[in-house]
Formats: sequence, C-alpha cells, structure tokens
Amino acid sequence: MSANNIAISVTDLHKSFGELKAVQGVSFQVQRGEIFSLLGPNGAGKTTTISILSTLLRPDQGDAQVMGHSIRRDPMQVKSVLGVVPQEIALYEDLTARENLDFWGKMYGLRGAALRQRVQEVLEIIGLADRANGRVGKFSGGMKRRVNIGVALLHKPQVIYMDEPTVGIDPQSRRNILDSVVALKNQGMTVLYTTHYMEEAQELSDHIAIMDRGKLIAGGTNAELVQLVGEQTRIDLTLTVEASRVLPIWRAVEGVAHVSAEDGRVTVLVADSNLVLPRLFESATRLAARITSVDIREPNLEAVFLHLTGRALRD
Amino acid sequence: MKIFDIALRDLVRSFRSASALIFMFGVPLLVTGMFYFMFGNLARDGGFNLPRTKVIVANLDAGGPKFQTSTKGIPGSANARTLGELVVSILQSDDLAELITVTRAPTAEAARAAVDSQTSQVAIIIPADFSKKFADPDAQATIEFYQDPTLTLGPGIIRSILNRFMDGMAGVKIVVKVFVDAASPQDYILVNQIVRRYLDTSLAEKEDVASALIISRTPTAAPKEDNPLLRIVAPIMGGMMVFYAFFTGASTAQSILKEEEERTLPRLFTTPTPQSTILGGKFLAVFLTVLVQVITLIIAARLIFQIEWGALDLVAPVAVGIVFIASSFGIFVNSLMKDTKQSGVLFGGVLTITGMLGMISIFALNSPGAARLSETVSLLVPQGWAIRGLLQMMNGNNALDVLLTVLAMFVWSVAFFVIGVWRFNQRYA
Repeated sequence: MSANNIAISVTDLHKSFGELKAVQGVSFQVQRGEIFSLLGPNGAGKTTTISILSTLLRPDQGDAQVMGHSIRRDPMQVKSVLGVVPQEIALYEDLTARENLDFWGKMYGLRGAALRQRVQEVLEIIGLADRANGRVGKFSGGMKRRVNIGVALLHKPQVIYMDEPTVGIDPQSRRNILDSVVALKNQGMTVLYTTHYMEEAQELSDHIAIMDRGKLIAGGTNAELVQLVGEQTRIDLTLTVEASRVLPIWRAVEGVAHVSAEDGRVTVLVADSNLVLPRLFESATRLAARITSVDIREPNLEAVFLHLTGRALRD
Repeated sequence: MKIFDIALRDLVRSFRSASALIFMFGVPLLVTGMFYFMFGNLARDGGFNLPRTKVIVANLDAGGPKFQTSTKGIPGSANARTLGELVVSILQSDDLAELITVTRAPTAEAARAAVDSQTSQVAIIIPADFSKKFADPDAQATIEFYQDPTLTLGPGIIRSILNRFMDGMAGVKIVVKVFVDAASPQDYILVNQIVRRYLDTSLAEKEDVASALIISRTPTAAPKEDNPLLRIVAPIMGGMMVFYAFFTGASTAQSILKEEEERTLPRLFTTPTPQSTILGGKFLAVFLTVLVQVITLIIAARLIFQIEWGALDLVAPVAVGIVFIASSFGIFVNSLMKDTKQSGVLFGGVLTITGMLGMISIFALNSPGAARLSETVSLLVPQGWAIRGLLQMMNGNNALDVLLTVLAMFVWSVAFFVIGVWRFNQRYA
C-alpha cells in the first residue's frame, strides 16, 4: 500500500478511562476511497477509536494520520478534511432540517450562495428536500438519521466517519443509509464505518477490522477473514438434554472443527455440513437426546468472531 | 464570524421556546401587573382614593360664656359663635373636604336615624350644653359619636380629628383652671390672653388639622414619581426584571450543558472551529438573550405601567450592568454543575434563594427600621447590587452613586465570568 494511497493510518493507539483500558494498541490503515469497517460487539472500543480519530479524545499513546495530518499535531487540519456521523443523533431538534444544515455548514466554513447551494444538494442527497422546512424534532428516527448523515457531507469531506449509523432505525431507513454509504464511496470518499452488525460490514466493506475488548483481533477483506475459520459452515442446534452432555462426544466426531454451547444452544463449526450433520444426529440418538432444531449458516464474520473469541458477535 | 453564528443560533432557539418567552417576558410583567391591579385603588393622579365618609352633625349647642379669643388659626373657624359651631366648621373645612362629607341634622334622633338607615356613616351629636359645660371648670363637655359599626377607617379618622379638638379644648380648661386657682382676682383679665396663646400653640399650631393627623412619609428608596401606585409597582417591576434576568442568564447558559447531553457540543468540537469560538458563541448568546429581555422589559414596563426608570444616560449603564451580572452569574453557576439534572438545585435553590435575598431591599422599602439591614443583606448576593442600581436610578440619585453601583456589578461580573470560563475550558480541554 503506497503512502499516497493511505487515507487513515493508525499507529499503536491506547486510551484508558481510569482502570478501563478502552483501546489497547490499535493499529490499522485505511486506503483512500474505500469503505473500512470496524466490527465488534458493544464495548469493543470502536467509538473510543472513532472519537480519538475525530480529535474529540486525546490518545494516551500512539498517533494517527488522517489525509496526512496528525491528530496530535494538526487537529484543525484533520477536522477540516473530516466528516463525522456520530452514533447518537446530534442535531438541534427545534430547528428545521434546512436551518440545521445551514448552521453546520457555517461551522465547516461555508458561506453565502455556496452554502445555500450545498445545503440544497445535501437535502436532495438525503432525500429530504420536500421536508427541508420541517422541524427535526418532528421527524421519524430514520429521517433524523439521514439529516445526521447530511450534516457530515456538507463540506464534501475527503474522509467520513460513521459510527453505527443504523442503530435503532426501521429497515427501510437502514437500507437508504447503506445505499448512501456506497454512494459516498462511489463519489471518492473514504468511509470509516463502525458497526456491530456483521451483515452490514460484510455487505459494505472493502476491508474489515474486528475489535474486541479494546484490541484489534483480526483484519482483512471479508474473504480473507472467512478464510480464518477455514471456510467452515456453522451449525446451530438445540437439544432436549443439557448441552454439556453432548459437547465431549461431538468434539470427537470426524469433520467437526469447533464446538461451543451458549444459552442451551450448541454451535458446531464444520467443513462439510452434509457429511457431519448425520453423524451429529447419530451420536445424539445414542445419548437418548433429541435434536429439536437445526440452523445451518455458510461461513461469515459471525463465525470468524466466534472462532477468534469463543463468543457470539452480538453479546 | 462563527462566534456570531453560534450566538444567533442560540438566540433563535431561545426565542422559539414558548416556555422561555413566558419566563423571560410574561411572568415578570404578569407579576407586576398583579401588584398593579392589587393596589389599583390608589389614585392614578397621585393620592389615595379613600371613599369619603358621610358625616351627619346634629349641633344642638346653645352657646355659653364667650372667650374673647382669636380662632383665626383654626380652619373654618371664622363664623363660629359657639364651640359646637367651631367643631362643625372644622369638619366642613376645605382641608377635610377630600375625606368627609358633612350634612346637618336638626335633632339627635334624626342624626342617629341617618346612621341606622346607612344614609350616613357617622353621626356627631353636639349637646345643647356643650359650650356651657366647657365653660364650667367642674363640668365635662362631651360629644356623642355614633357610627356604623361595620366601618373602621373613615370613622376612625373623624374620631381622631374630634379627639384632637377635644384634647385641645380640655387643655384650655385645665390651663384656665390652674390660672384661676393660682392668680389673684385682678389678674383674671389675663385669661383671654392665656386661652388665645394656648389655642395658637395647640389647635392652630399646624397649618391644618388634617395634616397634623395624617403623617405623609415618602419611602427613602421610592421614585420621585408622585403617583403612590407607581411607588409600589416600580420597585416590584425592577425586582421582577432582575429576578428573571438571572433566571434567563442561568437557563440560557445551561444550553452549554444541554448541548453536551444532546451530543451537539461534541459534534461542534469535530468541526474546524476552535473551542474558544464555540464557548465564546455560547457565552455571547447568554449576554444577548438577557440584553433583549432587559431592554424589552424596560420598554414594556414604561408603556404598560408608565414606570419612570430615570435618566436615560443612567438607564443604559444600569441595564448593561444587569445584563452582565445576570449573564456571568448564569455562566458561573452552570460551570459548577455536572449536568442538567441538577437544574432543580440551580433554579429551585440557588437562583430562588439569591433572588429573594436580593429583593429583600424592595420588600423593606416601606419599613424604614428594616431598610438598612435588608439592603446590607441584599448586597451579599449579585441580585442585590442589580436592584440597588435600579432603585438608585429610579430615585434620581446622583450619577456617581449609580455609576459606582454599576462598577460594583461589573466587578462581580468579571469574577463570575473568569471563573465560569476557566471551569468550562477545563471541562472540555
């Protein structure tokens, strides 16, 4: 990866809040014009990392360059090339959508006709041109999310951070947001996207970094990450007996790579489900246990996370 | 430029809030209006509109030995030939015309009947032997006072007038008796001179009887305006303005904490806008909001209640002083708060208590004994200085006094502002 092609370069970031080590030695690089996702469960350290890269938090150790500007030495330069979509809706609810965009545009240095024109463009991008004069407080959650994103687009930033932008919204709005993220990439923007939804990271990302407990535990393309679990299929089963009774038996079954149990459900990673599944039924029958449900999933990031941490991603 | 954008945005938000508008403008004017109507029986032209007391007099006095004395100092006494007529003359004098209406009754029964039928409120019955008994050193001259028992104020005033008259005349009797007992018969000729001098120095010592009975005192801190209604309402309006200006200062400054909780403040910090500009814009909004409030209230109070605030060249610095001290106090108090959940403590506790302490000097305006202490207490809080400035201005105190108070307000303001800004800068560093 050539240095000129790097939008964000993070080196050994550390951040603690008292005893809590929120970010521990995180390093990664994001190429220009790509969508890079930070994937991890709640509390993994994604938002803290984004906050440091937004210059909102000062790292205890380490540094990051955004479009060549150091977050430590040139925070104002970093801010000027950056658009941030925070996890929470950060808008003035008693102002209209247009007034919000107008105000935030001024904060990014836009003025006069250029501001008015850009506000109108953004209203059209986020699909709210016809609701421009409605108060944001009266908007639905999805509409607010769209304005929330629109604010970050006003100054045509080179890099945009989106911190879990689809949390708590309806499927239609979610779809709109995901489409707009792809559209931003197509316009040449670099997107750093955090999520705990595996499907989003899988669908959107050119590169994905998986975070857990403040550490980066894996990184690469979706295909590269799936390779980590050896293209294994995940089989979730529920039984009429305690899971602990079948675990030692199933671990010994030929073709089984990994077995774990959570909340009465047993998860088995296998190379070929067609071969292994009959063996699992057979051994369960020998234990006088009945399998009441089976869910087969092709290899994905969920399996990767499980493989790496022993826990489900949504924990 | 961004500093004004932030301030303007905050102003728009403040003035879009119905509750904020009510507290900024509605409540102070409403409270003052309540006092205005509460004391609405005060004359707009400057005097009390006490209803006149209807007095009916049955003067049955047949006269007695004449004193060759001058009664020229006694109002309405020119044509008095008996003591009874002298009493009637006093009651009918121009000085009492605003307080009582006098009619005459031919008999005592007719006078009492007039009170019983409520056509009159007081009946004064002067007996036939009134002058005669007065002239007799061993007799007691009396006047019958018959009043409507449901009334207190009007009859009380008339009773006071009569008591004063009777006390004076009793004094004359005592003086004459003492003289006659002690002097030799050839000196009796001096009785008239003694009586004249006594009357001159007792009954007629004042310009009029009413003024001797009703002491008119102007509160030390009241405006020069003669209208007593305004003497009550003007300080209250000033107090309300100061009280709610401090509320506005605090609630507007609270928008810093509110924005922090709404996450718009952190988002502002992600824009290429220096922290000093962001906080400066927020502080500017506080000053501008209170400024708009104070100017509006000053003008509204002038138009609605005809309140004379004082000379314009003093109104401006006092108004600016109030704006600065109220705004900086709001910034200071909010800088001590962790979040807006503590607003109950701020508004219910700090602002209410300091506001009431500051206004204590207004409550004590008509209690000269408590005025000095209350003013001292009120100056312990910033609101007290703001109110002091207003009262000085309304009283027409000299410019130096007013400007010294304004200077004190600025000293408070600088202290509050410096501490508040330092704490907020630390918070978001």
